[in-house]
Amino acid sequence: MTSRRAGNIHHAIFAARQATGRGLARWWLWLWLFWLPGGVAGADEVVVIANPDVEIDTLSHDMARAIFAMRQRTWPDGRSVDVYVLPGGNPVHKRFVKSRLNVYPHQLQLAWDRAVFSGTGQAPHQADDQQTMLHQVATTPGAIGYLERDHLEDSVHVISLAN
Amino acid sequence: MSYRWRTERRIAGLMLALAGALPTASRAGDVMDTFQVHGFLSQAWLISDDNDLFGPSSQGGGSFDYTELGLNLSLRPRRDVLVSAQWLSRRTGDGDASPVLDHGVVDYQAFSSRDRRLGIQLGRFKNPFGFYNQTRDVAFTRPSILLPQSIYFERTRSLALAADGVSLYDEEYLDAGTLRFQAGVGQPQTGNDLDATLGLADWPGSFDGRTSYIGQVLFEDDGGHWVTALSAADVRAGYEHGTAALDDGRFHFQPWIVSVQYNDALWSLTAEYALRRIALDGFANPAYNTSQVGESWYVQYTRRFADDWQWLLRYDSLVSDRNDRDGSAFAAARGGPAYARYARDTTGGLRWQPTPRFMLAAEWHHIEGTAWLPATATSPPPAKYWNLLLFQASLRF
Repeated sequence: MTSRRAGNIHHAIFAARQATGRGLARWWLWLWLFWLPGGVAGADEVVVIANPDVEIDTLSHDMARAIFAMRQRTWPDGRSVDVYVLPGGNPVHKRFVKSRLNVYPHQLQLAWDRAVFSGTGQAPHQADDQQTMLHQVATTPGAIGYLERDHLEDSVHVISLAN
Repeated sequence: MSYRWRTERRIAGLMLALAGALPTASRAGDVMDTFQVHGFLSQAWLISDDNDLFGPSSQGGGSFDYTELGLNLSLRPRRDVLVSAQWLSRRTGDGDASPVLDHGVVDYQAFSSRDRRLGIQLGRFKNPFGFYNQTRDVAFTRPSILLPQSIYFERTRSLALAADGVSLYDEEYLDAGTLRFQAGVGQPQTGNDLDATLGLADWPGSFDGRTSYIGQVLFEDDGGHWVTALSAADVRAGYEHGTAALDDGRFHFQPWIVSVQYNDALWSLTAEYALRRIALDGFANPAYNTSQVGESWYVQYTRRFADDWQWLLRYDSLVSDRNDRDGSAFAAARGGPAYARYARDTTGGLRWQPTPRFMLAAEWHHIEGTAWLPATATSPPPAKYWNLLLFQASLRF
């Protein structure tokens, strides 16, 4: 159910982009067909999570982007940050990167390659799925990651993104 | 070569000493958890109708002499320290593929807050030169098999690549986006490419890197759409051990590059414009003391489609001397072909990346002029108009 809805939203975004030059009527048709039946965002919203030892509740978008792009290596309080991501093809990863970090997944992948191969950063750790993500972030000091809200458990700490 | 190895040993020693001297705040096991190994490998096949690029590309079945192999090791001995080293073996037609230390740095991120982060790199650092220089040998970070040769050309590659010294970086988080600043001072690499490019390959002397400077300011807007940068450098080398008439000269390479990129969901538009001053002075024979300003620019459109495909269109222009754009003055004075002083390259490319680790690419170049064609002793006299077809397979881990 969750993944189908994710697909629907993806379709709606794609449709909206395609439609910009083709008139509003078609856009509304796509919206009605694919997005509205899926309902509004809620349980499948992607949230930033951290290890409970991280005492920060809010991150700026810039800093979140710098952390997930592997340019920033410490939390604002100086603690070491360990970044976990889902595989590049995972729809939750794609949604998180686009909607929360405001960049495109291929740009983030490029940022990692550039960091690693220019000697300015390392690559993030990869978690194979959301269960692994939850476990890794819950058990690694200073870890940061992301999850759909309905996968959340008390073992991790939720961080909100703000400007 | 021996000079290069000496330097590399010095850098490796410096890195080890620095890494060892750092008080390790965490247990050794935790440090080893941060150890990462990455690498890349790419192999190309080049076919041209005229003019050889990277081996005998215009003969028989073309050339396979374009191979890039890299190994990267990194470690975080402390939360704010990164140690990274990369070895590169690169074969481009001359048969010499001995691995060299591509970069080797200790990176200390001294200050990090909500609004900025500041750090310093010691060792052999990659020069922040335009959008692509720092990872120019990693196929996955390039938009095409060959980078736009007007700016990322082979002829002075060794000078532009990296420097042994100190680099400072600063990243400021502003409301409008992120501003990044990097400035370095160090000794550049000098390879045989420089001697050959300046027509001094047959002389006994050679160039050695002297203290050089490089800096870049880069701005990325909040939405991730716009990236703009300004890079500048003053790269210096000295000519030594030549003959009485040809000694103690100095070489200056002073490029300015303006870079602009717009990114959308499925496409990117990129343009870079460079003015490159190349000067020789201090030679006893005044005929060798010359100065010229070259001009380079390109416009490039890339379009992603069907998830893992991308096509590319680019126009790339190089003029060796702004005061002699068509090369006619050069031809009259030196007798060489005028088209050796400019190059106009129209490129179309296609790439398929089914997984983040594997990529296949093909591209076609239609070129007028040979200004960026690397100088080789064995090639036949170059042709004015030529076509180049490339295929490349790349792996990364």
